[in-house]
This record gives sequence, C-alpha cells and structure tokens, in this order.
Amino acid sequence: MSQTDSSPRSTTSGAESKSDMQLGSLSPTPVVALDHISFSYDSGQHWVLDDLSLTIEAGQRICLIGANGSGKSTLARIIAGLITPDRGQVNLLGHPVFDEEGPRSDQYRMARRGIGAVFQNPDDQIVTTVVEDDLAFGPENLGLDHATIGHRIVYGLDAVAMGEHRLDNPTRLSGGQQQRIAIAGMLAMSPQMLVLDEPTAMLDADAQSEVMAVLDSLQGQGTTIVLVTHKPSETLQADRIVTVEHGRLTNIANPYRPGGKAGKSQTHSPAYGPAARHDADGSLHAGAFAHAGDGLQPASASKPADHSPDLAGKGHLQAGQSPAVGQEPAIQVSHVTMSYSREDQPTLYDLSLRVARGETVALMGPNGSGKSTLARLLAALAWPDQGSISVEGISLAKPSKQDRRNLRQHVGFVMQHPERQLFAETVAQDVAYGPRNQKLDPAEVNSRVTRALAALHIEDLADRSPFSLSGGQQRLVAIAGVIACRPSLLILDEPTAGLDTMASRRIYELIELLHLQGTTIVLITHSAEEARLLADRTICLPGHDQQADGQGAGKPAEPATAAASTPQVSSYIGSMDPRVKTLGFLALMFSFFAISTPLQLGLSLVLVLGICAAARTSPVKLLVSTRVLVLLFVIMSALNLFLDHSGHILLALGPLSISSGGVQTAVIYAARLMLAIMLGALLMETTTPTQLTDAFGSLLTPFKALGLHGQELALVMSLAFRFLPTLGQEARSIIDAQSARGGSIETGSPAARLRALGAIIVPVFAGAIRHADNLSLALDARCYEQGIHRTHWRIMRVRPSDAVFVIIVAAYILALLGLKMAL
Amino acid sequence: MSLSKHADSAITDDVTTANSAAIDEAEQTGNPVRSGTAARPGNHSTSASNISAKTPNSLNGRDPHGTGISDTGRWSTKRIAIYALFVALSMVSSFISVPLMPGVPWLKYDPSGIVCLLAGFAYGPSAAVIVSVLGFLPHLLTNQWGFLVAVLVALALSVPASLVYRRIHTRKGAVISLVLGGLCALAMAIVTNLLITPIYAHMSVGQVVAMILPILLPFNLIKFTIHGVVTFLIYKPVSKLLHD
Repeated sequence: MSQTDSSPRSTTSGAESKSDMQLGSLSPTPVVALDHISFSYDSGQHWVLDDLSLTIEAGQRICLIGANGSGKSTLARIIAGLITPDRGQVNLLGHPVFDEEGPRSDQYRMARRGIGAVFQNPDDQIVTTVVEDDLAFGPENLGLDHATIGHRIVYGLDAVAMGEHRLDNPTRLSGGQQQRIAIAGMLAMSPQMLVLDEPTAMLDADAQSEVMAVLDSLQGQGTTIVLVTHKPSETLQADRIVTVEHGRLTNIANPYRPGGKAGKSQTHSPAYGPAARHDADGSLHAGAFAHAGDGLQPASASKPADHSPDLAGKGHLQAGQSPAVGQEPAIQVSHVTMSYSREDQPTLYDLSLRVARGETVALMGPNGSGKSTLARLLAALAWPDQGSISVEGISLAKPSKQDRRNLRQHVGFVMQHPERQLFAETVAQDVAYGPRNQKLDPAEVNSRVTRALAALHIEDLADRSPFSLSGGQQRLVAIAGVIACRPSLLILDEPTAGLDTMASRRIYELIELLHLQGTTIVLITHSAEEARLLADRTICLPGHDQQADGQGAGKPAEPATAAASTPQVSSYIGSMDPRVKTLGFLALMFSFFAISTPLQLGLSLVLVLGICAAARTSPVKLLVSTRVLVLLFVIMSALNLFLDHSGHILLALGPLSISSGGVQTAVIYAARLMLAIMLGALLMETTTPTQLTDAFGSLLTPFKALGLHGQELALVMSLAFRFLPTLGQEARSIIDAQSARGGSIETGSPAARLRALGAIIVPVFAGAIRHADNLSLALDARCYEQGIHRTHWRIMRVRPSDAVFVIIVAAYILALLGLKMAL
Repeated sequence: MSLSKHADSAITDDVTTANSAAIDEAEQTGNPVRSGTAARPGNHSTSASNISAKTPNSLNGRDPHGTGISDTGRWSTKRIAIYALFVALSMVSSFISVPLMPGVPWLKYDPSGIVCLLAGFAYGPSAAVIVSVLGFLPHLLTNQWGFLVAVLVALALSVPASLVYRRIHTRKGAVISLVLGGLCALAMAIVTNLLITPIYAHMSVGQVVAMILPILLPFNLIKFTIHGVVTFLIYKPVSKLLHD
C-alpha cells in the first residue's frame, strides 16, 4: 500500500521546532494543523483545551504526554477527526474540517478516510468474531472491491505479524494480539496517519513491546504516528514529545534519542502555558511524567504512618510500630489444582504456598499463569478441583455458605479494574456498601467511610456521583469501598494498571499504611518495580508455555470453552448460501410441528439424518446438544402419556391410565421437538455468526421500502454477538466483587436483596454503556455511516446446489402434507 | 433504598432523545445498499452530497462536538453501538433462567424484559422493538415457538410502556407505564401460552385453559412485578449514565 504523503522524517529540522507550533507552518505538508482551538465539555465553564495550536508534519512520530485528565485524549480525538473543538480552526490531511462556522462534515468525511485511530481498550475496537472479517470491515465501509479487500487483509495482518490468526476469533486472543488486530484493522484502510490513545495501557509488558514493535515498523514506512502515552519508554522513538498541561502544550524534542535533538529541546514557545519542567535529560521522568506536585511524596520516601489517618482505629496495631510478621500463616495453599473445564490444561497445577500474617507478598507470573484464578480462590469466589486452601483459619476446599460469609468479614478483594463495580448515587454510599452489608450501626458505617476516603485522600469526593469522576479517581473510590470493610487480608489484582503516576502513588501509600497496621497483603502485579517497592517477598507462578497466548491482558483467566464455532466449510451444508440455509432450516423446523403420525415421523427422521450426513456431523453429537432440554421432554411426555386416552388401555393406576394412543403421542411430540432442536444446533454448528448476520441483513433488504434498515440491523446484531462473551465475563466479575463486599441476592431482607441486585445491574449497564461509547468511536474511525454503500468481503451467492436444497425442502413439506391427507 | 431516592431527585430529566430513531421512518439517503461496483477511497462520496456543507454545531440538542457526519441519518454510530450493547445485554439475560414456582420447571424467570423496558424508556418505542426482537433471535434456532412467545410478550411489555412514558415523562408516568406494560404483557403471555401449549402437549385449548391458567396467571404476575419493580429502581441511574 502506498503511503502517499511520506516525506522523510529528516525534513523536520530543529529550526522548525519553534515555528511549527504556530499557525501557518512553513513546512510543505502539515498533516495536522490546529489553530487556537478550545474545547469544553460543560459549555465553557472549564476548558479542557485552551487556545491550543499544534502542527504535525507528515511522517513524524509525535508523543502526547500528560497527567490523567490533562486533555490529551481529547486532543487525540480532535486530531483523529472524531470530535470537533468548540473554537478555533482544524485542518486534517489538507482538509479544512472545522472553522468559525462549525464542522464541515463532507471535509471530515474525506479526512477521516486517511486517519486511523486506535484506543486503549482493544476489546472495544473489534467488531466481528473472525479476525479477517474484522480487518475487512473498514475496507468494506470504504466501498473497496473484493480483490482489494483481500490484499488489504493480507497487508494488515502482515504488518502486525498476525497472519496465522486470520481465521481466529479475536475475542479469544490475548490483549496484545487484540490490539495488534485493532491496528491492522486501521492499516487495512491504508491511513496516512495513525492516532493511538494509550494503546498499551491495558497490556502486560510483553504485549506492550509487541505493539511498540509494530509502531516502529510503521514509522519506518513513513506513516505519521500520534501516540498518547504515560510511559517514558514509549517516547524513545518519538520525533517530538508534546506535553499537555492544563489544556495547553509544552513542546519538547526527544532527549532520549541517540544523536537526537536534545540540544534543541529548550526551544519551546513561551506562549504555550507553563514552562516545561525539563532542564536536563534525566529530569524528564520527574518533570513530564510525575506531575505529582500535589503534596504527595514519592512512595519510596514516604512514611505513611506519620501523616496518614489511623485507618484501623483504636485497638488495632499501633501506627508507626513495625509490623509483627507473625509465624501463623494467613494463607496456606497446599497442592491446589484448578481448571475451568475438563478438556483444559489446568490453570493452576499442584500449587503450594504460604503467606505469614502481616506479610506483603507480590504475586507475579506471565499472563495465563493463574494469578487471577488464585485470587478468586483466596476470596472464596471459586473452589479448587484438588488440594486444600486455608485463609485466616477457614478452610476453603469446599466452603459452606457460613464459611464464605465468615471469610468475607476478613478478606478484601480489589479485582482488576475495580472501578467497574461502582454503582451508588454518591461516592460515600458506594464506599458504605460493604460496611452496611456487615450490619454495622450507622455511626460505625459513617466512620469507616470517612477513614477509608481519608486514607486515599479523596474526602472531597464523598458527595460526588462516582460516574462523574475520572478513571483514576474511580479506581481510588472502588479501593476505598474494599478497605472500608477492614479486611485483615487484602488481595489486590493489578491495582495500578493504567493509572498515572500520581494515582499509583496514592495506592502505594495505602498499601504501606495497611502493611504497617498489620494487614496481610497479596498484590498481583506485572511490575517488578512495584513488587520491589512494596513487597516483603515475591512469589512467581510458573507460566504454561502452551498458554502464552491464551488469555487477554486485564481479564480474569477465561475458560476456553467460550463459543468457538468451527464451521465445516468443506461439507455440502457448510458451504451453502447462508440465506438459503437459514430460511430452509426454519421452514423445516416449523413444519416438524405438523408431524402427527409414525409415518411422518419416520420420513422426517430420514430427512434429518440425511442433512446430518450432508453436513458431515454425527447425529449423536447433535442429540447430546439437546440434553439440557431432557427435563422438558420428560415432563412433556409424561403429560401426554396421561392426557391422551385413545387406543387401548395398557396400564391403569387408579384414576390414571396409560393408553397405546398416549404412548404414541408422547413419543411423537417429544421426537418432533427433538428433531427441530437438532436442526437448530446443526445450523449453528455449520454457520458462523458473521454468516448469520450477513444473511439476516440481506434478507431484510426487500423490506427497505418499508423503512427497515437491514444493513444497520445486521450490524447491530453482529456487534451484539461480538459483545456477548465480554458482557458475560464482566457481569461475572462484578458479581464476584460485590459478593466479596458481602452483597447477596439470595439471602437477607427484600430491601437488602434489591440493593444487592441494583449493585450488580447498575454496574453491568454502566459497563455496557462504556463499551458503546468506545465502540461508536471505533465505528467512526472505521468510516462506518448509516446508509453508506458498503461492499462485502464475504460474497453470498445462490448456487445450483442451494437450489437442490430448496427442492428437497419443498418436496419434504409436500410429502408431509400428503401423508396427512392420506389419513 | 438509595436508588429510589435518586429517582426522586431527577424527575424532570428528559430521558428520551428528541430525535429518537424509528425504524419505520423513511430513509433519507436512498443509496443503493449493495452493488458489486468498486469505489476508490478517493472518489467515494456517499451521502456527502445531500447534506449542507456546514451543519450547525448544536442542532436539536445534538452532540456539540460532533463532526456532523452522523447527522444525516437517524442511525448514528452512537445509536448503533448503544442498540448493539442493549441487544447483547438482552441476549445474555435471556439465557438466565430461574424457576419461580415449584412444580412448574418449564416456566422460568429471565430478566431480559428489564433490558427491553429500559431501552424503551431511554430511546423510545423503536428501541424497545429492536431490543425485544433482536435480543431473542438466538432462540429462534433452538426453540421456535418459544421465540415467538418471548418476542410477542416482550413487545407487549415494552412498547406500550415506552409510549406512555414518552407522554407522561415523570416518576408517576413511569409507574403508570410499567403497570400498563405489565398488564399488556400478562394478557399476551396467557393468550400466547394457551395457543402454543397444544403444540407441545396433546390438549385442546379448553383443557389448556383449565389446567394451565392457574399456573400461568400467578407465574406471570410475579414475573412482571419483578420486572416493574427492578426497572423502576434502576431506570433513573441508568438513563443518567446514558445521557452523561
């Protein structure tokens, strides 16, 4: 693919570094020109971006850095052409997209075609359940022809080295792989510029380097790259680092780069906000990334007990006193083996470990090594297959309800992304949820809430809605909600993932404080630095080589049984046109309910067996898939057995009698239902979700005159299928997190049960809405619009073999009717 | 109950969007949906021609930072994404099944109706229709008649409720619409169940009435009461999340 505007990076000379901050850069090809733009989310009360100007040259690699909430993501979205500022002028790829008269949608449309955008959460950018379909989505929206789409898929996959995953289900790839697919999806549209908003924020170290390697290779090909990041290591290859502070810019050249422009780094325009805090190379860490400022000491230097509130209150270990690391174990794990399904490689295998009371232990290990699984076991949210676990003297091998309830008084569990469990109207109410579930009196609940908020320095947020807070603040609130339960054992699963330095420091400080107060702490982390800083000891879980790619970052270990359809394209049924197949199967399934005689049943049985053979699927396997409905069959048959009194009586039990007619009815009714279910299972087995939704959209096109938007409805359906596993998994972790805070739907007063239900449903909806927000941006970035002319990578064509199937279906239905008439 | 207090405080919030989508609305663009012709990225100019070059920035309460691209049709990407996630939620919850009454294991409670109600409250009747129909579509392949019943009942529940709530946009209106929706759904559930039961059991409709009504009526009464109460408790927090 040709990168049209790929001027060599060397054109960005140091002499320009001052002028290119200003409007009307002398440079020949500015890819982005922002001129005095301002942006506000609240109609001008606060300006997220304030009179900011920026020019980006073709082929440059720019890093945007700044603290959480500094406006860098907003800036990235404006650069990507996804949102507009309130004021100023925007020129993207030579298109004047925004000026004093507002947005020019036609210009935006053209500019967007040349801009790729990649976001934090890889999961929210993937739109289908097959990798190659996902790559095809953007080119389809651009209306490219089939052959070109095919080339683009190959190009995109090669660029991110994911060629062998072409037919995989992206929801089952690791986080790093998903993010590479998201980038490939953009590359398939052949963009001149790629805007990436913290693309590695949710990835572990290995996945981060995978993604950065892709960026390096794209940079080599001349693609303009705009990268928003927190991580100093990711700025190494940048031509320019731009700091966003209080809605303004500070421009710095890259001091890291060997033979780079460190000498010119001081040339920033005084017009752009406070002077940068970087005077020498070494201080960039502290200056540009720390932004601590706000009265927080670096965690390593802090003595939390000296200035922090006494979280545990009186009667607990005195603050300031060195913690007594006792000999009595808080956790004793012996020979534990755990797997999510029988076929799976066990996630944990013969694991034994011991954590002393008062100890802080870091738990490390590669993705898929079972860290999160171990955390769930320790919090009694799951049970081991073998071995024994004892936590705070309570045995958790097969815990009773009472055991679990006792345990929850002692164990606090901060899940991954704990901000996703927030639900209440105010921060204070959310933090109070755990203590209230412990049935403490209101005064004690209040005091717990106050202390927990104080320990994290977020007292001022008490009356705010948790949903109005920034991501970092939400994380702190969620953690406060766990420590307000006063656990003697606290488990934290990657508590600082995706946080900026300042918010991370508050969490470090809290961990040190709790440690001094005698709390046993298990900290799951990917950062060796974090482990060194906080833990007495590090336990490394061994990785499974074959599972290296098995799990997404930022997700709990996922059972490998998730819906993975392996369509049998080779079979006659598998290669049918999905529209003909779906309609034909539906016609058959409905007509099965007309079966009322043994002859009709026999005919239908032959047909279904024939179809199974044509699909190369064993009918026994399909029959097994109906096993969940066995109970229904049994009840139905029993009912029919006693209801139908035709024929001669076979057996009489007082008032109840069984007749030969009853037996026949029972068998026929159960059998015809079973046949219908088998066909349904066969249809799902031989058709991918994408094929089904394509067929659905195509079948709706005749109804366009009635105003049915087939294309849009099919996309809604396909996206819904795509997000099913994601939502299911999130719901599970929210249920876990709220149970760990003592919320229970099954027990308690009706009001308490309803509150427990609300504490689950509201976060599930909040999660769905968050996904929808991200997803809509991803759809925009892929140039999807309502009613556009799209081409299709998967071409559906009715062939003679499909016509044969139609004839068979028609003949069967006629025969069924004929047999009915004959009686 | 914290959630209900919340509902008090925000009665006047406008929940439905002014430009709620309706699938029966005539399409404006009139582009061909499908054709084999190739278009180059450069000269591809879909519906750009039929919108004015400069769309006012905040028209009809539209997103003040929108690029104007989504303003042509009624299905913005935002709307598609929200519908997709609601449909996914409805699918997920339709696979949950909790037996409510002992002895009638085939009648099970699933919370998907709550999702349909919330979609209708937040985005109007058309959203209720989309979530009610698409959310059950996976069941079409496993349980055809059950699918028909589920869709008809979900429609009877969420469409009247969203129509009423749209007119009476207060907390009282929410109660009225939930009660009305519940009653419609109750009637629909009983009628459809009476009609499909003979497909599964060798009975006349008369026999079904005598035998099933004592079971159907209380089951569905409990079911729609739970739907209504839960929806009433969470619709304000959820709609606030949607419109933040």
